[in-house]
Amino acid sequence: MPENVRTVIGLEVHVQLATKSKMFCTCSNDYIGAVPNSNICPVCLGLPGTLPVLNGKVVEFAIKAAMALGSKIAKRTWFHRKNYFYPDLPKAYQISQYDVPLASGGKLVIDTEGKKKTIGITRLHLEEDAGKLVHQAIDGRLSGAKYSLVDYNRAGVPLIEIVSEPDISSPSEARDYVIRLRQLVRYLGISDGDMESGSLRVDANISRTSPNGSFGSKVEVKNMNSLSALEKALAYEERRQDDVLRGGGAVLQETRHWDDSSGRTLSSRGKEEAHDYRYFPEPDLPSVAITEEQVQKIRKTLPELPWEKEIRFIEIYCLSPEETDLLIAKKDMAEYFESVVKAGVEPRRAANWFKTEIMRLMNEGRFEPEDPAIPADELANLLKAVDRGAISNTAAKDVWGKMLSEGFTAAEAMEMLGLSEGSLEKERLRKIIEGIIEEHHEVTEEIRSGKDTKGKKLKFLFGLVMRETRGQADPEEVRSILEEMVR
Amino acid sequence: MNEFSSAAETASRIRNGDITASAVIEETLRVIEEKEKDLNALITFLREEALQEAKELDRRIAAGEADGPLLGVPVVVKDNMCTKGIKTTCGSRILERWKPPYDAWVVEKLREAGAILVGKSNMDEFAMGSSTEHSAYGPASNPWDIERVTGGSSGGSAASVSAGYVPVALGSDTGGSIRQPAAFCGVFGMKPTYGLVSRFGLVAFASSLDQIGPFARNVEDLALMLSVISEHDPRDATCVGADRPDYLAAAERSSLAGVKVGVVREFLTAAVEPEISKVVLDTAAAMKEAGASLVDVKLPSAGKAGLPCYYILAPAEASSNLARYDGIRYGKREEACDLMELYFKTRGSGFGKEVKRRILTGTYVLSSGYYDAYYLRALKVRRLICMEFESAFEKADLILMPTAPSLPFRKGELVDDPLQMYMSDVFTLPVNLAGLPGLSMCVGRSGKGLPLGVQLVAPQWQESLILKCGRAVEDAFGPAPVAGRGGM
Repeated sequence: MPENVRTVIGLEVHVQLATKSKMFCTCSNDYIGAVPNSNICPVCLGLPGTLPVLNGKVVEFAIKAAMALGSKIAKRTWFHRKNYFYPDLPKAYQISQYDVPLASGGKLVIDTEGKKKTIGITRLHLEEDAGKLVHQAIDGRLSGAKYSLVDYNRAGVPLIEIVSEPDISSPSEARDYVIRLRQLVRYLGISDGDMESGSLRVDANISRTSPNGSFGSKVEVKNMNSLSALEKALAYEERRQDDVLRGGGAVLQETRHWDDSSGRTLSSRGKEEAHDYRYFPEPDLPSVAITEEQVQKIRKTLPELPWEKEIRFIEIYCLSPEETDLLIAKKDMAEYFESVVKAGVEPRRAANWFKTEIMRLMNEGRFEPEDPAIPADELANLLKAVDRGAISNTAAKDVWGKMLSEGFTAAEAMEMLGLSEGSLEKERLRKIIEGIIEEHHEVTEEIRSGKDTKGKKLKFLFGLVMRETRGQADPEEVRSILEEMVR
Repeated sequence: MNEFSSAAETASRIRNGDITASAVIEETLRVIEEKEKDLNALITFLREEALQEAKELDRRIAAGEADGPLLGVPVVVKDNMCTKGIKTTCGSRILERWKPPYDAWVVEKLREAGAILVGKSNMDEFAMGSSTEHSAYGPASNPWDIERVTGGSSGGSAASVSAGYVPVALGSDTGGSIRQPAAFCGVFGMKPTYGLVSRFGLVAFASSLDQIGPFARNVEDLALMLSVISEHDPRDATCVGADRPDYLAAAERSSLAGVKVGVVREFLTAAVEPEISKVVLDTAAAMKEAGASLVDVKLPSAGKAGLPCYYILAPAEASSNLARYDGIRYGKREEACDLMELYFKTRGSGFGKEVKRRILTGTYVLSSGYYDAYYLRALKVRRLICMEFESAFEKADLILMPTAPSLPFRKGELVDDPLQMYMSDVFTLPVNLAGLPGLSMCVGRSGKGLPLGVQLVAPQWQESLILKCGRAVEDAFGPAPVAGRGGM
């Protein structure tokens, strides 16, 4: 391919909002794991005669997202009906937005390849989710299914659709964009942002610029259920489109589905015919006025955003950007970290502990910052002991292990391990050393008789002392007391 | 107690212990059984249920547990209002066995007020029609001449009140579906301001136009019904929560001094039945006699562009509202080998001709490439008509005009001429487009003995003014008689 061929990607991200109830009825929004069709009512089932009533929280959550993205929030917005037939769509239209979205414009700054990059936001609008089809074939797929079942538990769950500008220029950038957006919605507390369960769904538009610099045909790729699927699907599309172009062909403008098992995108032509959604204003819902007062009120509830936190961490804790990223990836993690620091732990020490111990535990699945096994205060007590020089870093890891396995406080665990505060004063150390000398008096005799020319016997005793004190004793001090006493 | 009694009178006599609810219902059932064979006004006749409810109500009344403004009053509601556990067909095959799991808001309110539901009335399928001939359950007949139509789409409710089945009934009005059959059947029928009565449980035809309203044979009963059904309902976002005035007080006899009545003389053309034009002027004279002053108002756009505007917007909304009848979740489902076939066969056999015509029209006007030329332009015309009414109401407090241009036509006469049939709503549908309240009143009979109707239209939320003026008209021309018996 010639040098000037570039990839152009725009993403449409659907985020399920974690409101208590659905968008237009009082059914619970929490349908995951529920018995099929148990989380429904006449309204979300679209029974004749029922009417939608907008859940005000949905608007509030969407406004939060719009604010965080720096989007322009409409003073008045309204809903449209998007009409199409499909069994999972109870009313045969989706209540969505069309000409006047809740918010438009804005940007998201992402971290990609060690740099910051600004991705433009086109619009953010509200819409309702549909139900789910369950195909009764062995592999759960449509082809070969004898019949299909429909589960409407998800019907009417509120969504925001965030459409990006075509500013993304590689599959890994797309991934980084989604990571940033997911982090944002989690920080805002408006969604769990989970791709696997479908709380966050990504459709991608991807094209390759043709050799003369003009845009190639846009291909829409759907059905990517994880970050890696997203990246793989887009990388596959880059290659596929290049192959088509290299062969002198033209890339078809179409919708393709990512098939995770075969690692390919497949054309969905035939299945999805060209839709004319016949959008028109939803007559059952009055327009929504968003007042400046309401906006200001919501603004006050905004948490510190990830990029704000990042700047603050770097500035006040003197951490590197990489360390900061690690600490603030999850809001709960950042808060846990800050609680530890605020309890009096030196930030540098705390950061190191998080980078090693906490990260290791998280990777092992033994620690969740949203529900930490050890309260921040207790971790702080442990690290403060290290700060004071009361215990060594190595011993701290043992204490930490005990805290995790037994649920002890830092003080209890140190006590258990004989590391209670003040235990290593000189007097006590002398007593320990005396005891060891007495216990191993024949070794002491050998040293005293001058047979320990290479100092091996002394090292043996030294090792016993260090073991007894669990490494808490100052080695220099042990050595001098030992030498003094065996002489 | 007999078929001529009003709702207010019936409730009051039951409350006083002059008569039992059971006796009232037995008389109602007797009248229905005598006439229903000729009229076909009901799709579902709730004979046993009504008797049972009346017995239970009598027990509760005796125990001092029951009261309400419609205590023991037999009522009929149009079959597009949901009734819990009771078939709600909308006059369609596609819902022929569908039983909703809930009551419509208005049905709830009627029950709370002590009313007893005796039937679900016949209607044009999905309320699309002006004759009740487009019902999958056969046409209803006009009680004044059973060879003629009742008007529609709420023809069954109008006929039920006209024939003396019940003193009051509910209908729905999207383009004239309460007022035109009220005129054809010689009763009073009112379409309230859009947003006054909750549409929750009303099976949608055209959501921005649909409104539920009462039929009665006198203005007091209309006021009574309106006060029962107009309570604010949070389940309809287009239902405006405001203080409701005292409609019963508004319906009391009073002078019309200071009221300016606008007469739309330009509507009284050769295209309008001369006897109808004459009663419009007679009504104007009667209102003047009652103290009102008369002015001329003009509604040129409403008269010329209202009909095409309506027949773009209403089908557009209907095409979307009726898309849910796909055979997947409820209602009729035809056997099929795949999804497309299921859709085609279910909708193909479930919907009648007129419904299909409107779905196709509506789908067309919303399609890309046609949306601007049809739907968007119709929205602009709608706005124009609203503004025209607004400026008319600067000159007049209330507008007087015909309800329909013709007398009730013969069955079969227009059924294959949709455009001519649509003309029947030419004076009523602009009122829906502007969201205004309108009342059709029977003010006499033609030379052939057919009812003659006129229409009063007021600014939004001015139901009280309509009732006040309606009462004056009723005092001049008398209440609506039961068809074929006495009166006028």
